[in-house]
Amino acid sequence: MSTPTTDRRAPAVGAGPSAPTDGARRPPATHAWRGRRERLTAGAFMAPSVVLVALFLLAPFVWTVHRSFFSDTRTTPFSWFDNYALFASDPALSRSVQNTLMWVVGTVVLPFVLGLAIACMTDAGRFSRLARLCVVLPYALSGSAVAVVWNFMLTADGAVNQVLTGLNLDSLAHGWLLTWPGNTVVMILANAWQATGVAVILFLVGLQSIPPETLEAGALDGAGSWQRFRHIVLPQLRPVSIIVIGMSLVNGLKSFDLIWVLTQGGPGRATETLAVSMYNETFLELRPGAGAAIAVVLTVIVLAASWLYLRRQLDVKGV
Amino acid sequence: MSASGRTSRAAAPLARRRFLAGVASGAAALAAGGCARGDSTSAQPGTTSLSNDNATWDEGYRSAGRELKKITGYALRPLSNPSVTSYQQVVQMTMQTSKAADLVKWASGYQLKRLARAGGLTDLTDVWERYEAKGWVRGASRETVSYRGKAYGVPIYESYYVLFYSKPVFKRLGLSAPADWAQLLHCAEVLKRNKITPFLASQVGGWPAIEWFQELVTKVDPHFYQKLTTGAASYTDAPARRAMDIWHDFMRKGWMTSPDFDQARGPGALKEGTLGMFLHGTWQASGMAAAGMEPDVDYGAFILPTVRPSTQKSVIAESGVFVVPSHASSHEAAMANAGAWLTPSVQRKWSDFLQDSSANPTVRSSNPVVARLQQDIAREHRLPLIRYWEAGPPSLIQGNTNDLGGFMAGQTSPATTLRRMQERAHDEWAAWRRDEA
Repeated sequence: MSTPTTDRRAPAVGAGPSAPTDGARRPPATHAWRGRRERLTAGAFMAPSVVLVALFLLAPFVWTVHRSFFSDTRTTPFSWFDNYALFASDPALSRSVQNTLMWVVGTVVLPFVLGLAIACMTDAGRFSRLARLCVVLPYALSGSAVAVVWNFMLTADGAVNQVLTGLNLDSLAHGWLLTWPGNTVVMILANAWQATGVAVILFLVGLQSIPPETLEAGALDGAGSWQRFRHIVLPQLRPVSIIVIGMSLVNGLKSFDLIWVLTQGGPGRATETLAVSMYNETFLELRPGAGAAIAVVLTVIVLAASWLYLRRQLDVKGV
Repeated sequence: MSASGRTSRAAAPLARRRFLAGVASGAAALAAGGCARGDSTSAQPGTTSLSNDNATWDEGYRSAGRELKKITGYALRPLSNPSVTSYQQVVQMTMQTSKAADLVKWASGYQLKRLARAGGLTDLTDVWERYEAKGWVRGASRETVSYRGKAYGVPIYESYYVLFYSKPVFKRLGLSAPADWAQLLHCAEVLKRNKITPFLASQVGGWPAIEWFQELVTKVDPHFYQKLTTGAASYTDAPARRAMDIWHDFMRKGWMTSPDFDQARGPGALKEGTLGMFLHGTWQASGMAAAGMEPDVDYGAFILPTVRPSTQKSVIAESGVFVVPSHASSHEAAMANAGAWLTPSVQRKWSDFLQDSSANPTVRSSNPVVARLQQDIAREHRLPLIRYWEAGPPSLIQGNTNDLGGFMAGQTSPATTLRRMQERAHDEWAAWRRDEA
């Protein structure tokens, strides 16, 4: 929209008010008025989005940053970086950071590897549609519903331990949600069970967009199936991989619902991630300043991770 | 291009614009409707709205409300939000608006003090004094509903923390409700030998982690508990260490359920005979009834014996309260109902529904198990003690509850847990006192 406007305005400015004009050219005053009108129109179209984003995203964020510099006592005095210092002094927050890192690694690696493997295996198989449906179906469930199902399986007297006991593997039965880091690991696995579906869909789309000629050419050149996958399929799945990893990265950093329903961040505060800690500090421990500091740190991490990752990937692609 | 074509091309954008305008105005109307203040708490003739965090109690409120209407002309209209966390947020937010509910269910103790400190509550001292003059309220509980000398709450019920037990299971194993600590240990041993988990202990939902802590500390030394809950004693003192050691010992012996055992399954487990004893508030009696258990037939209840016979007997009491927001939509009606809530005829209906102890001491529970507990508390002159959840600044209690949950899951030793609790107590009591100054 801006390019034609600039193109039309440029000659008028160059011609000057007293320059002779041909019959097709409009008077400069009309051009200026038209340019203003187009800018106003563009502004009017953009205004609702800008206002909404400013009102519901930027303003709360600015307020959150502001609140994070004030303490949580009744008079809420300015406290510099005291709330941020909690990351160094509060063991629950240190554990929360550890858990968040585990979630990020788990939610990036598992859906990526499993999604790619399942997509490749079900791309052209006899029961591929059924297999795909089975994998994709959990993605249609809400995080809370998934958590309820896994809670039924993972409690000390739940389905998993009952099966283990039934198989005379009592020694393996234990409280899956009670001890760290096992509880965080099983929740990451539960999350992968749900999140792999979308990765499968994306990889299938990517696989179907690969020209078969490239694979045939590779086969004619004597490349084996692993070589074809490694050197022909995988490079062509790069755009899809960028999306899958990018989405998983952000999902890992903001993971909340599954944890909240399964353990509420407990026992103790052993399974909290930064998102759960933010909620816990703000609404349960009634420390909105500390909660705001966690929110700011989490936002910075999400933005930095997304920006660093996408910038690198897009640069490599040459976009 | 034909004229008709131009016409149709010209008409299409117009129709599209109309359509878009229609959609936009519809969306705007919906958005406006959504943003508008809800009318659920608006004044409605002949009723007072009641914010409540337990939807299963709605019918009880309605039943008691019908009795209230005969006295005040206003029935109760419960508005429930069953998630305790979101309930607290919603209540605190609506208190600041002009459409606050008429009556709000809230916790007593420091939870109430914090709400009162923020302002926006009606002083109910006169109401309380009228109740006290009639003997319709226990004077000892006034402190738990007061802030800076003024009463801000009317008690909704008075529950006691007791051990429910399965009568058929106890009978089959030749056991009876234990009268002292040695008998309690004997019961646990016999139950365990018969592959029945003696005690339910849970940290699901967070707050249940306090139950065994408060119970054992008070049965080791109730006066220490009183000091502990005013910040005058340390969590690392001998009575607290003794209580945690007992708890730890029970866990090591396999006498406790796994900490991820949901208490909602407690009545069912008692009925099935897989659980021996269930430590909980007497308000759980309605849960027992819901599981099809008859009081005195299928279950009984007793108060945990003291660890040493010479220790003063005590009982943990829990009392939710009604508060009246200053901005209540029908403030006059709310005050009328707050002033008549503890009337015996109203409490009769309420106590019958709840199967629990009424906050009005003249109303005897219709549940024989609870009625016997009421008699026992009066006969033994048991020292009433506030539940731990309401017994300190909310940030302190929440943090310590998390620590107890960690202890139950085996993350920390008794000594480490108590040290952490004391460190938090030191900071939070100092912060509370600083705020009060």
